[in-house]
Amino acid sequence: MARTASSRRLFNSTGKYFILILMAVIALYPILQMWMTALRPSNEVLRSPFALPSELDWSNLTKAWTQGRFGTYLVNSVIITIPTVIGVVVLSCLAGYGISRFKFWGRGIMFLTILLGLTVPFQSVMIPLYYQLLNMGLLGTYWSVILPGIAFGLPFGVFLMQSFFEDLPHELAEAGRIDGSSELRIFWDIMLPLAKPAVSTLIVFQFMKTWNEFLMPLLYLQDEDMRPIPLGLMFFQGAYTRDIGLIAAGVAISTIPVIIVYLIFQRQFVKGLTAGAVK
Amino acid sequence: MAQQSRRGSKRQRAGFWFVLPAFLFYVAFFAYPFLSTVYLSMTEWNGVGSPTFTGLTNYIRLVQDGAMWSALGNNIIWVILGTAAPIFIGLIISVMLWTGTKGGGVLRTIYFLPMVLSPVVIGVIWNWIYNPLFGLLNTGLRNVGLGKWAIGWLGETETALYAVMLTAIWTYLGFCIVVLYAGLQKVDSELVDAARIDGASPWQRFKNVIVPQIRPVLTMVIVYTVIGGFNVFDVVWVMTGGGPNNSSEVIATYTYEVAFRNSEYGYGATLSVIMSVVALSAAYAAMRFRKAGEA
Repeated sequence: MARTASSRRLFNSTGKYFILILMAVIALYPILQMWMTALRPSNEVLRSPFALPSELDWSNLTKAWTQGRFGTYLVNSVIITIPTVIGVVVLSCLAGYGISRFKFWGRGIMFLTILLGLTVPFQSVMIPLYYQLLNMGLLGTYWSVILPGIAFGLPFGVFLMQSFFEDLPHELAEAGRIDGSSELRIFWDIMLPLAKPAVSTLIVFQFMKTWNEFLMPLLYLQDEDMRPIPLGLMFFQGAYTRDIGLIAAGVAISTIPVIIVYLIFQRQFVKGLTAGAVK
Repeated sequence: MAQQSRRGSKRQRAGFWFVLPAFLFYVAFFAYPFLSTVYLSMTEWNGVGSPTFTGLTNYIRLVQDGAMWSALGNNIIWVILGTAAPIFIGLIISVMLWTGTKGGGVLRTIYFLPMVLSPVVIGVIWNWIYNPLFGLLNTGLRNVGLGKWAIGWLGETETALYAVMLTAIWTYLGFCIVVLYAGLQKVDSELVDAARIDGASPWQRFKNVIVPQIRPVLTMVIVYTVIGGFNVFDVVWVMTGGGPNNSSEVIATYTYEVAFRNSEYGYGATLSVIMSVVALSAAYAAMRFRKAGEA
């Protein structure tokens, strides 16, 4: 133990803590500053932008919530995010399992096709997708961001689930096969419960991604009443450029749900992002 | 034996049905529109009526398009600086964490926080930091007597690209730290120890013992930042829209303008195909580089 500690000693300890804490301040301060600004009277903000609030003033937050319609945007974000996450998780689990556990015609090509999606940006499909959604009669409905959102989540989802299932011992499924269970039953009863850690990782990761998306809804959801939070914030900022307190309130309302989810599930989230790297 | 293998292959075929739903979904809303983009890239189309096939005309135009080259140049600056800076800083910080610290978990949670915010939120926060009159940056500069440096960072052609890039680095530095830290967990302390006993300096231990052991993770982060650098859109679009005077234009924002402001869907498609090709080749090159490093 002592040996390990000494072998790892590469830095002067005081300097190390100074740098580590400085980095934490740099990461955190801009966000905290926005929240503090949201809780101050707007006139005070311009006079001394970086002072602590002299008194807590909730008026910017309530104004943003009602005038800025952040309540509506919040509901829209939930309506879009939940089905997208469910779709990605269900399809990725099935496909990841299929690819890792069976050898069948078309396996390689299907997997490769899906993986190539990891490098294709949304810009490369946004134009035809617009007309495709229009022809399908989906443009301007929530489905116009949910269905493509699911498709865009699949490359990472399938990759993650495939690598997870590949590492599970094969003997477990064999027991089910001897019992004569169907493959779907084996998947559902035996394999899927084992995949819980990977599934929760994928849920959190996909939640963040969908929650923060703005280009897709900007292009496909033109109705103001259907905007999700990031898009709402974008238009809100355009409309109230001068009122910093109010914009900060918009930022505070937009960030709080996602930060809460992050803090609850941060372990899974980080695991998901490092899954590909640390294999 | 023969019967068993036939039963086996029947069983193997079940896998097809597990993959099919995802594959169909992916084809319908991703692969098929992408192929349509490839077709559109060889047409002229303003969004009304049907596209006119023009063969490689758009690709010839692309090669001669100065605006495209300057945008691509910005992407290349972005890829180089936007990869080198966060990986350099990220390596130092993650090794510091790895050497053992109190509160390491809390620190990692904080470092990663900006990564979970929407690009719109990040854009709003940083627009405010860069505000020429009352922004955090200029107020700070004035307070330390550097008032003449207090410029409109996002409004000047010389600084806009770098100001946006700094914002992006602020956002994903935490990702680099966390992933590199995860990679460091596999480093063999015995080897580091042996090097120390042999009289290797901290820098030599870092460079010759630690870095080679985390090479796979390092490559992974490089591939990620390189792809991200060629595809970057959100933060640029939210903060400067490619301006002022196209000085912070990247391929993705240029594509958006060509397609949706000028209604040149054919040429817009050509640009977006090139984007995918560039990102894919860069990712491939980085993977090859990794293989070469391992051999």
